[in-house]
Amino acid sequence: MTNYVIRKILSLIPMMLVLSFLIYLGIELMPGDAVDFLIPPDALSTMSETQLNEMRESLGLNDPFMVRYVKWLGGVLHGDFGYSLQSGVPVATLMKNHLPATIELTVTALIFSSIFGILFGVISALKKGSILDQMLSVVGMIGVAIPQFLLGLICINAFALHLNLLPVGGRMASMDQNFFERLPYLIMPALVLGFSLTSGVMRYARGSMLDSMGKDYMKTARAKGIPEWRLNLLHGLRAALTPVVVLIGFRLPMLIGGAVVIEEVFQWPGIGALFVDSVRAQNTPLVMMIGFFSVLLVLISSIIVDIVTAALDPRIKLS
Amino acid sequence: MKLKKITSFLCAAAMAAGMLLGNGTAVMAEEKAVSCQELGTPLADVRVRQALAYAIDLDAIVDSLFDGKAEKAISFTAPGDWLNAELPVYSYDPEKAKELLKEADWPSDYTLDVVYYYDDQQTVDLMTIIGQYWSEVGVKAQFRKLEGDLAAQLWVAPEDKENGPSAVKWDLAYAAVAALTESEFYNRFASTATNNSSVPLQEGLDELIAASNSTMDTDEQKEAFKQIQAYVAENELAMPLYHQVCFIYNSDDLDMAGSKVGNDQFSYEKNILDWNINREDKTLYTNGGPQEFFWYPMVNPGYMINTELIFDKLINADSSLNPTEGMLAESYSVSEDSLSIEFVLRDGLTWHDGEPLTAEDVKFTIELMLKTPGANAVATEVVQAITGAQDYLDGKSEDLAGVVVDGNKVTVQFDKIAANALQVFSQWPILPKHCLENADPATLQQDQFWQKPIGSGPFMVDEVVLNNYATLKRWDGYYKQGSGNIEKIYMFASGENDANLVKNASAGKIDYAWSKSTDDAKAIEELENMNVEVANIRYTRCFYINQFPHEANIK
Repeated sequence: MTNYVIRKILSLIPMMLVLSFLIYLGIELMPGDAVDFLIPPDALSTMSETQLNEMRESLGLNDPFMVRYVKWLGGVLHGDFGYSLQSGVPVATLMKNHLPATIELTVTALIFSSIFGILFGVISALKKGSILDQMLSVVGMIGVAIPQFLLGLICINAFALHLNLLPVGGRMASMDQNFFERLPYLIMPALVLGFSLTSGVMRYARGSMLDSMGKDYMKTARAKGIPEWRLNLLHGLRAALTPVVVLIGFRLPMLIGGAVVIEEVFQWPGIGALFVDSVRAQNTPLVMMIGFFSVLLVLISSIIVDIVTAALDPRIKLS
Repeated sequence: MKLKKITSFLCAAAMAAGMLLGNGTAVMAEEKAVSCQELGTPLADVRVRQALAYAIDLDAIVDSLFDGKAEKAISFTAPGDWLNAELPVYSYDPEKAKELLKEADWPSDYTLDVVYYYDDQQTVDLMTIIGQYWSEVGVKAQFRKLEGDLAAQLWVAPEDKENGPSAVKWDLAYAAVAALTESEFYNRFASTATNNSSVPLQEGLDELIAASNSTMDTDEQKEAFKQIQAYVAENELAMPLYHQVCFIYNSDDLDMAGSKVGNDQFSYEKNILDWNINREDKTLYTNGGPQEFFWYPMVNPGYMINTELIFDKLINADSSLNPTEGMLAESYSVSEDSLSIEFVLRDGLTWHDGEPLTAEDVKFTIELMLKTPGANAVATEVVQAITGAQDYLDGKSEDLAGVVVDGNKVTVQFDKIAANALQVFSQWPILPKHCLENADPATLQQDQFWQKPIGSGPFMVDEVVLNNYATLKRWDGYYKQGSGNIEKIYMFASGENDANLVKNASAGKIDYAWSKSTDDAKAIEELENMNVEVANIRYTRCFYINQFPHEANIK
């Protein structure tokens, strides 16, 4: 397995190079550049071409495309990720400031959704056709169908504005607050994000569990007199988990930019909103860095999924 | 081409004369020498421009699209002292529009290329409605949103300012002007304006504009601008549509001590040190906190409320944005010939970090403003008029000769009268030399100073959690102390358009804020604990009409 992991990691290098080039090219092909977004449109009419060029020169935007890409790549290889074209803040600092918020939110949602999704999915499968199963199925359908922003607004209206139980948004009221004091800010966005994720996992786990429960080896095990709880837990669930793990694994990249809507609705200062803003503003260094991490996470998730799948399913050998 | 221009002008002049005769409608010249098609663009014919205006029912648009929370514009100038009451009004009259188009021999196969750059739904709706009005009088139009380098697509003046051809492709451009002074509306119609991409040299207009810029006397300025307004309106050089208003929101918990509200896009004396807040923690909640940085004040000095709380200006302004008493300057005086202003700074001024604030900071700020590309046009125009400005910009002198420091006295000498000098010194704050002297003016906003700026205003930056919130705390070192109790200002991070404003106000977490959004105003009006006030502002939405010869962009 060690060889497999090393080979996979080495194969990431050319992939990252190609993908970074494609992202850079994608930004290049967008109309305009960062300067067009730095000056409010109404104020643009008062600027001369010379002034705009001066700004482009200062930001290094006048160099040819390949020169800029190679400069950026060279910087990254030396650990210099560049500066935000909007704020002048080092990209690494921005990542350091925003990433913890997103990770806090999405990891909580991911753990919540994985635990409850699998739990409810399995219960639903074991109680197939019961009222409980039907209720969970309806809730699951709602979770998948309801837009996150709508659910978020409903929750804000209910829990923040009417019941006054939770804050309307933000991540903290003061920098002095510790994690537990900040918890009220996390609950609503994490649960709303987690709810829609839970529904997907639950429906997947239910289907997968039903599938494994109908397999011959389950009948054989049952015939051997293995207790039902053990049968379901050790044999059924283990086999059913494989596709669920794949689903959860491929949600890991969401840690970088997948919670944009929730971050906007709950004023959560994460990296999702930053990513959207930087794409709109053609803030190349920042888009590259967030995109780079996102791609890296997809590739790493793929390796993790392979390893976990192999651990769960003895038929799969990593080679 | 010259003949066509003259004919067009005579035609326009005849109409203008008719209007001035007072019959309320344009009297067309009996003899029509050329049709609009022969002028290089149908829009060069004043009858076409007027017909397009007559075809739009702005009253209905204001009532339906803006729920009455905007004002129909008859000029760029908003209603008030500065508006010429005698201007012709192009009230909705589709029959008149058709008649004018027929007289102008409007080419029915021509499709107007109309561009805009806003990405909000209201703009799309407005364009759709206007397109429908025009189609009802037989004018086809296609609307497209511009992307990318807007300056190059919108504001490039042709080489030949009289005959063109046009350096831009569009027929009409939907835009807005948020003006501090009237000159921001009208200077762009001068043939010498580098951003005049749409209006060819007009007989006598350059002189009127020059006259408006050559006096600091408000009454003389008003008179000059009223003449310009008449010229622009009679010839429909551009089509003002509506004036946006500024909505100011305050909570029942806030006592503003009788302060007048004004144009919150700019800076004016709010007497916030006298305000009282009915909260135990003596905290006032607002928005406009930094998302990625604190906005530098070079473009919009009042864009965010924090700018005027953190920084002080030399002179104060009232709620109508008229310069009033000194702020950092204990006193100031304008010379008799209006070519120099002397500021005497208060004694013992310091920055929030304890460093002394001196006349050198004033000189540094003026020099920085001069070198900063993209600084507000009015401010740039004023600092460029300072003696030695060009030499300083060209690197021929190490400092700006026209700004002379003598102890705590600063004298600013101008080569020509800078009509808006006092407005500029009452809006643009003084910045700390010791923090910014190594900043690159071309990328000033990217300087790390704007992550947690140091100013000399009544409140200083305390906590900053970018894109989340920031707090300001009352600064004990300020030169005056008010009677109010606000100790802390909590600002939710937001841009000018704050998607969370209504939500935060509903949760009782907004005590003071402003916006130009009618949707925000409508929602906040419904809240029990909030009040909405309206301020008339110089913010006019309009169509610029490209009258330079150009080929039809849509074929």
